[in-house]
Amino acid sequence: MFLKTELQWNVVIPAESLDAKGLMLQKAIIVRLLDDFAERKATKDLGYLLALTTVEKIGEGKVRQHTGDVLFPVTFSAISFKLFRGEILKGVVHKVLKQGVILRCGPIENVYLSSSKMPDYNYVPGENPIFLNAKSSKIEKGTTLRFIVIGAKWLEAEREFQALVGLHADYLGPVSGAPSASMYDLP
Amino acid sequence: MSDKGGKGFTAVPKGKGKGGKSSLKEATPKGKDDGPAKSKKTRNVQFSSQAAASTKGKGGQADGGAKKDKEPLQLKLENELPKGAKCLMDCEAADILQGVQDHMVILSKDPSIKLPVSFDRALQYTEKSTNYTDPESVRQVLQNLKTYGVTDGEICVMANVYPETADEVFALLPSLKARRIMLDDPVNDVLSELAKLKKSA
Repeated sequence: MFLKTELQWNVVIPAESLDAKGLMLQKAIIVRLLDDFAERKATKDLGYLLALTTVEKIGEGKVRQHTGDVLFPVTFSAISFKLFRGEILKGVVHKVLKQGVILRCGPIENVYLSSSKMPDYNYVPGENPIFLNAKSSKIEKGTTLRFIVIGAKWLEAEREFQALVGLHADYLGPVSGAPSASMYDLP
Repeated sequence: MSDKGGKGFTAVPKGKGKGGKSSLKEATPKGKDDGPAKSKKTRNVQFSSQAAASTKGKGGQADGGAKKDKEPLQLKLENELPKGAKCLMDCEAADILQGVQDHMVILSKDPSIKLPVSFDRALQYTEKSTNYTDPESVRQVLQNLKTYGVTDGEICVMANVYPETADEVFALLPSLKARRIMLDDPVNDVLSELAKLKKSA
């Protein structure tokens, strides 16, 4: 789910940039903030950081004693993306394994769907392995699936999330790319 | 950093801070060998302990999913939302991200300005999900359900799911099922309004 949050971060401006006139300083602060934001990639609380929408306020700068840099508290709004348990989302299959499939959902690369959570689907090995059910509904690389999120795990070292999802409820499963009346197969 | 788990880590060669986590280090009593052999053992121990720690610890949700069957699989967003965060529907997010993209076309001339890595993927995701003609009207229509106790998170999931029938809504949002009697009519009304706002295929 997409989230919009108001945050306050501290932006450190090196002393060299402080000679500039008022507007250039503001630009330096915002560019530095964008930089820090892009570098952060994701946080456990907010999920994947996507974009800064507005800068609400730039507070008074505080000089750091030993370096001469100035610290500015900046209040801004940002959009992020995070998976929540129980949420219904769509993802695209990018790997098919015997144990299940791996999907991509928005910025998240590692969404795991175990075969045990794909009721009535059976693995069909081959050069292009797929999962098939009795009604000939196919799950293969490139299929868009609607799933429910069972859980999400934050990996501190990689600064990313892994998710575990399932199709074990009504109205979940393969969907076509474009919306239409008979969009999906019921499991 | 490695001083944290200092017990017996004297000879751990540059454990990249991971040395700090593993308390299983004490279980390898052949402590005095320095060098690669020990570091291999150490590394193996750390890996398995880290995996164990992460399953048991804070990251337990993914593997613990099966154990969590006791708790019904429902959206309880409000407990997990960070402070001050607001839920956005996919269509609203699409508008905002597209706006940022348009600005970036102008700003990209400045090489010092860059967007987060996840931005492009998120934008693509929302482009596939833009099924409504007017996100603001969708929000207004769904806001009516708030008077019946439907939460912001449930409203957003409802919009994102692009439901055809009330059955679909209640199947995908089991948290609403309990109040179906009360919500059936309002949900049906909302669905007929949403149908008018859907983009034609």
